[in-house]
Amino acid sequence: MDAIRQLVGDTLFYYAVSPGLKILGLLFLGILPLITYLVLAERKILGYMQARLGPNRVGPWGLLQPIADVMKLLVKGDNIPTQAVKWAFILAPCLVVGPAIIIFAVIPIGPPAGGLGPMSWFITDVNAGLLFIIALATIGVYGLILGGWSSNNKFSLMGGLRSAAQMISYEVPQGLSLVGVLILAGTMSLVGIVEKQRDMGVWFVFPQLVGFFIYMVAGVAESNRNPFDLPEAESELVAGFHTEYSGMRFALFFLGEYANMIVISAVATTLFLGGWLPPFPHLLPFLSVVPGPIWFILKVFVFLFVYIWFRGTFPRYRFDQLMDLGWKWMIPLALANLAITGAIRLWLIYPR
Amino acid sequence: MTEPNQGPFAPPETLMSDALFAKGEEMELNFGPQHPSTHGVLRLKLKVDGERITDCYPIIGYLHRGTEKLFELHPFFQNVPHTDRMDYVAAATNNLAYVGAVEKLVGLVIPPRARYIRTILAELQRISSHLLWLATHAIDIGAMTPFFYTFRERELILDLFEQFCGARLTLNCMRPGGLPHDLPVGWTDTCRELVELFPAAFDEYEGLLTENRIWKKRTVGIGVLPPDVAVDYGITGPMLRGSGIRWDLRKAMPYEAYAEVDFEVPIGTNGDTYDRYLVRMEEMRQANRIIAQCLDKLDDFGGGAVMAKRPRVMKAGKEAEVYHGIEGPKGEIGFYIVGDGTPNPYRCHVRPPSFINLQSLPELTKGYLLADLVALIGTTDIVLGEVDR
Amino acid sequence: MSAIKRFLDRIMLFDLFAGLGITAKNMFKKKVTIQYPEERWEPAHRFRGMFRLDEDRCIKCTICAKDCPIDIIYIDWHQEVNPETNKKEKVLDRFDIDVQRCMFCGLCEEGCPTEPKSIWLTTKTYELASYDRWSNLYVDMDELQEWKVRPAYTDEEIA
Repeated sequence: MDAIRQLVGDTLFYYAVSPGLKILGLLFLGILPLITYLVLAERKILGYMQARLGPNRVGPWGLLQPIADVMKLLVKGDNIPTQAVKWAFILAPCLVVGPAIIIFAVIPIGPPAGGLGPMSWFITDVNAGLLFIIALATIGVYGLILGGWSSNNKFSLMGGLRSAAQMISYEVPQGLSLVGVLILAGTMSLVGIVEKQRDMGVWFVFPQLVGFFIYMVAGVAESNRNPFDLPEAESELVAGFHTEYSGMRFALFFLGEYANMIVISAVATTLFLGGWLPPFPHLLPFLSVVPGPIWFILKVFVFLFVYIWFRGTFPRYRFDQLMDLGWKWMIPLALANLAITGAIRLWLIYPR
Repeated sequence: MTEPNQGPFAPPETLMSDALFAKGEEMELNFGPQHPSTHGVLRLKLKVDGERITDCYPIIGYLHRGTEKLFELHPFFQNVPHTDRMDYVAAATNNLAYVGAVEKLVGLVIPPRARYIRTILAELQRISSHLLWLATHAIDIGAMTPFFYTFRERELILDLFEQFCGARLTLNCMRPGGLPHDLPVGWTDTCRELVELFPAAFDEYEGLLTENRIWKKRTVGIGVLPPDVAVDYGITGPMLRGSGIRWDLRKAMPYEAYAEVDFEVPIGTNGDTYDRYLVRMEEMRQANRIIAQCLDKLDDFGGGAVMAKRPRVMKAGKEAEVYHGIEGPKGEIGFYIVGDGTPNPYRCHVRPPSFINLQSLPELTKGYLLADLVALIGTTDIVLGEVDR
Repeated sequence: MSAIKRFLDRIMLFDLFAGLGITAKNMFKKKVTIQYPEERWEPAHRFRGMFRLDEDRCIKCTICAKDCPIDIIYIDWHQEVNPETNKKEKVLDRFDIDVQRCMFCGLCEEGCPTEPKSIWLTTKTYELASYDRWSNLYVDMDELQEWKVRPAYTDEEIA
């Protein structure tokens, strides 16, 4: 790495080569395999919870199943309905998948230094990292609306609008719970938040238990997962915004949902569970031998397992009950959490 | 398929009101015959105002196979396989109703051992039918796992049936006069193991669903059926008992061995979906209790014949008619048979509980949301094989 | 006291955690999947599978044809003198079963008066699929007696 840096010069290295390599590595070695194998993991874990084995025919333990699925979706016919609005039809999946993957640019997988030579463990560390994340998550809603509307199908439209309404109404508690963390950390940059957790010696989940809970619930609702998956429920009348999509476009929507899951888990890990920090650093110092990224990935897996666990256990909320929950319970709870956190920080932690 | 909208089949005016429709506020939606949650080929024409259902008109007949005509073509004891296929989820109780009717018509008295075994089979079938009901109801509302757990237990019951009569679903396990053969060796032991196992399994399903706040939100207060409306429609079974009326044919007009066993009939208070769910769960436990008692009585009883002495060709008297109803898992299933002096029945009409319970669906769904519709179809517990015959 | 308990229940989501506990416990219990076709589940002794005929035992009484609820058994016989014993006996011409409609109810087996039965369903065969469309729909007398038990997946004949 140092050799390459000497070769191309500092500017080019830090602005082109290093991010480029990291993006490629993240995308092809990290995100895409993780998303496709998350599909397999969900089917297997759901199967294990339901007293059956998941897919286990295609390769040992079904490990080649995602590849078979991807190949199948690639060769499926790609029909665009004749009366559909073509530009929106084609743009919608990109608007769902794109922001989900872009958010990974700011999430730190490991500490700032110690990657391959002078590369650090994140692509970039924006000063307003949290704001960036919340903004991009909101763009994802456009994809749903466009997808539902452009299909020229009143059921898709209804499903898309419901889905969009659900996502928008859970953006507010999500944002408010993140502000609680912001108050404790004092900085919006994600690397700064993790470092603050290291300095404070406690992960933010403990002082912000209510905020964590609200973030989890809002996160499940954001990614349209059970128990909030009415817009895409299989046994309901409205089949959802992705009815008319087939083949790779549908795969993009599907991947977008799982990418959303991973993003929300990653953000929750960074903000509440201490990112790349090992647990109990003072009691069990030997745990620091395991490098940071491994801890990060383990924690993300814990969240993903909890997502799948929820899917296997709970019934679905009805749409109006879902919206009730979001507006009447989550938001006041988040506001109360915010007020108490603010008060505590003002008068107890940093008294004037 | 063209709907018969004229003549004697015209829907009543109140059901197809066009007032709101003409104003353009309502949308007509077809909850088609092919749909994952209609439990068969049920077609519902819905009028929805946004999300609220203002009208619901069921159209049935997609599974009509002319069963009642088929009954007239063959002698009495050959018709038992046809009865399996009506309510295909609960074949033993269908068989029981039919053979009970034939025995009343021809005048046979079945031996006591056969009575107990038939009771055990009927109660096992009740548990199996309710397990399937729970599976589909839960998965329609969104909880996927009870489906797999209940089917795991249901497999054990179906294994028992298979050891006894050779088939798992379309049982053909009873004959007019008793049973085709006696229990195989070891059947009662396996049955007793199941009886021990079931309460823990029922607790598992209840733990997943009964206290769950999401389940309660989806089912409490949904589809309230007032008791007088239920009686007017002629609804029987858990739907009636969920509304608070204590009417169970096993206690009111006991048949088989029900007069000799001790069990309770659960009733609900509010008549909503949650109460009907609780009634069915408790019925499963009571069925378990009945099976345990019958197994004990069988042990006390020892051996015996399982088939009454019956003529090779059973003829009914000319113009003899009989109606025999029993309490099936879905309600009262009854057979009205008219004889004409030949071995074949002259007319055999079925009183299908699902068909009669389905009448209440339009009344139940008015004013609820589309998402409640699947919960309500699930709580009426219809099987289209019985609705259409 | 119970009001406090109800309040705590609502806040602490105990019912949801109970459900989560049940699913988690089931993750470690035995799975019920049978890896067909390598493992096969053996039907019970009385399982009503594919029927089989034994022409020698059959006394050509046609009770099975009369008992069938859907009349799919077609029997033809004629009397002829057996040259060996010089007695008149029945010879079976045709014993066909229309498998398209058979519902495997077992009434034919129940009606058969011979001991052991001449037509029986307890063959434990339930895999009746074949690659040839017409071979399984209508089974005539020879096939009824001589059909091979469907080979297992791991036999060399198939692979």
